[in-house]
Amino acid sequence: MKRLAMVVALAACAQVASGQEPASGTAPSFSPVTWERLLDAAEEPHNWLMYSGTFSSQRFSRLDQINAGNVGDLKLKWAYQIPVIDRAETTPLVVDGVMFVTEAPSNLTAIDAATGGVYWRYEHELPDDLRICCGRNNRGVAVLGNTLFMSTLDAHLVAIDARSGNLLWNTEVAEYSQGYSKTAAPLIVKDKVVTGIAGGEFGIRGFLDSYNAESGAREWRTYTIPGPDHPDNRSWSGESWRTGGSPTWITGSYDPELDLVYWGTGNPGPDYNGEMRLGDNLYSDSVLALDGDTGEMSWYFQFTPHDVHDWDAIQIPILADIEFDGQPRKAMLWANRNAFFYVLDRATGEFLLGEPYARQTWAERIDDQGRPVRLPDTFPTEDGTVVSPSVLGGTNWWSPAFSPRTGLFYVNAFDGEADYFVREDDYEAGFRFIGGGQQQVEAIDNYVNAIRAIDPATAERRWEFRITPQSRAGVLATAGDVVFSGGIDGYFFALDAETGEELWHMQLGRLVQAAPITYAVNGEQQVTVAAGNVVYTFGLD
Amino acid sequence: MSRLLAVTVLVTAAAATAGAQDAENPFTDGPDRRMGETSFRVHCTLCHGYDAQGGAETNGPDLTTGRFRRTSTLAGLFDVIRNGVPGTAMLGINPDVSDRVVWQIITYLDSLTPNLADADLRGDAVAGRALFAGKGNCAACHMVDGDGGRLGPDLSRVGERRDPDELRADLLDPSAEVEPRWWTMTVMRADGSVVEGLRMNEDTFTLRLIDADEQLWAFSKGRLRSFDRVRTSSMPAAGGTLTDAEVDDLIAYLFSLRKES
Repeated sequence: MKRLAMVVALAACAQVASGQEPASGTAPSFSPVTWERLLDAAEEPHNWLMYSGTFSSQRFSRLDQINAGNVGDLKLKWAYQIPVIDRAETTPLVVDGVMFVTEAPSNLTAIDAATGGVYWRYEHELPDDLRICCGRNNRGVAVLGNTLFMSTLDAHLVAIDARSGNLLWNTEVAEYSQGYSKTAAPLIVKDKVVTGIAGGEFGIRGFLDSYNAESGAREWRTYTIPGPDHPDNRSWSGESWRTGGSPTWITGSYDPELDLVYWGTGNPGPDYNGEMRLGDNLYSDSVLALDGDTGEMSWYFQFTPHDVHDWDAIQIPILADIEFDGQPRKAMLWANRNAFFYVLDRATGEFLLGEPYARQTWAERIDDQGRPVRLPDTFPTEDGTVVSPSVLGGTNWWSPAFSPRTGLFYVNAFDGEADYFVREDDYEAGFRFIGGGQQQVEAIDNYVNAIRAIDPATAERRWEFRITPQSRAGVLATAGDVVFSGGIDGYFFALDAETGEELWHMQLGRLVQAAPITYAVNGEQQVTVAAGNVVYTFGLD
Repeated sequence: MSRLLAVTVLVTAAAATAGAQDAENPFTDGPDRRMGETSFRVHCTLCHGYDAQGGAETNGPDLTTGRFRRTSTLAGLFDVIRNGVPGTAMLGINPDVSDRVVWQIITYLDSLTPNLADADLRGDAVAGRALFAGKGNCAACHMVDGDGGRLGPDLSRVGERRDPDELRADLLDPSAEVEPRWWTMTVMRADGSVVEGLRMNEDTFTLRLIDADEQLWAFSKGRLRSFDRVRTSSMPAAGGTLTDAEVDDLIAYLFSLRKES
């Protein structure tokens, strides 16, 4: 069977599942995205139904029409210019021929996935005194039924009708004037919208929320810093837990069999001054495993106890069933901002492995329980302490990928360093509360940045592809054995998933700071990535 | 009304009506600078770095060079801090922050760039100018106001971004700290031929050079046999050709090179 025919057949199977025919003009585009469709998202690879592709967040597509043999022929199909000039960090969704693109500051556009033509645009009204740390970002939406769900910079969650762009409901998640904001795509869990919060540089108290998809009413809230009635509250000195940060500003994952939601948490606050919050500072810099219905915590694992370098555990939890020490394991793979690669048992939270994947100078090793053994003299000081990784981390929020075909984990890794300082700080609601700072030591060209392929069973590096000078892009892996990513130099490129050999590249003119996706429309596989202010889509002739 | 309050009101009015374009900074004392530094650490450091030398987290620009991308005046800087730059990650400062704090931040930023009046210059700038074009051979590689070579940084406004001590270090030990723009690249083509030049830019797949004859070259890395970075400066140390007094003269000249000069 020819590859093209196979893709069409695959797409046709999926259409049966979704009841839709995606060819333009032959049937309506977009059909309701049921919970069952989300559970089986991998079975309809012509769509991209959630932020990380599927609930396992592998950012892997079964499409193989574009493959290692022909990706060199990739051509630009269309481009969509976002009208608000800013830096796009969006992961679009694609539902039966319609693409949903979030835009700075908190807007959403529906476009024809075949041509880039616009259906509608939703513009969210924002106050002029936002409290945001790092730019006017929005990273994507979630979809359930006929409704899209989007975080907004004023810390609201909005529901938008997918066919018209009309606002259905608008719920305040937290008070923006107190330093809260929202940038991440929510995650659908059954009939609920699970969504996180940003504000780790403003002394917030982080949480993860769940909202009723129909009404927008909150169903549960789990604080990422336990209150005084919980023994883990004693991991914070004095009243420091009240302003301890630990936000949840990137999207999590879900295991339907275990009914567990997995979500990373960010840095404790103030970021650099650990004296103001003695203790391990639970559950900052951790992954939380929560019951999907109630938000009750099943287990947690803290990667960086008492972090003083702003090394958020805000990475995408990749869920993969792998063989580990000769045993099949329901694993969670995690390349952390602290430069260590971890493998956990996602049913129990048991620590299985922790080895560096990027340059680090702060820990001797990770011990048998998964706790780092810190090296002396690595905390920030008045005069500065140079430590690797840099504040950007070994990686950051940039989505990694996992290919079940190669068995490899792909991550955008940075071997940087920074000079970290500590200062006194006073908390004032709605203002920055970071207790110090950091400074880059040398020009960025002096450091190594690379896409690295890691064997999760051993943490062994199989290959790396170096990027000059740096990348802040996510990674996509496909059944065509291609890995896609990009760099701040404006290149979008394709690598051989087995060897890391470069297969194709194109200059897009502005930094790629988003993660690529792939989908099919009219039987043709497409690859989409945002660069600068533009969403580009590529395909074969 | 206290004098201070009156000034604040005046400044606020100016900012509201004329975008502060005509305003002068009313808060320039030593305590203002210290307050400005503190405020900078609160509001600006995440993007612009702890010492304003550019930040890693969001790649904010270095603010210590004496030049700002969006404005050439301190009053213009007020507008940028107050209102942000539309379409960029530079947001206006929190509206709850007073104009006084904004001016104090400006005072702090202004203090990071060298001040002509503070300099203890031993040399003679006129003599230094002659050395620049003559014995020092600087003009072979460096332009000033459109005259000179292309193989070193344009020095027309170097006095705004380097103080005399930094200029002395640059002259006596040019390889101590070389910006990536001034690294040398040695490129070997597939046929074994070699091109060497200054690294104008390099990315994942390509690089661009200017060679000793000031010719521009572009290469695709995939077609090269090799390419190597030489991170030392191509500039000879001034100590080899100039006396101590001549180095002082050259510093006096270089430090005088400013927009207004």
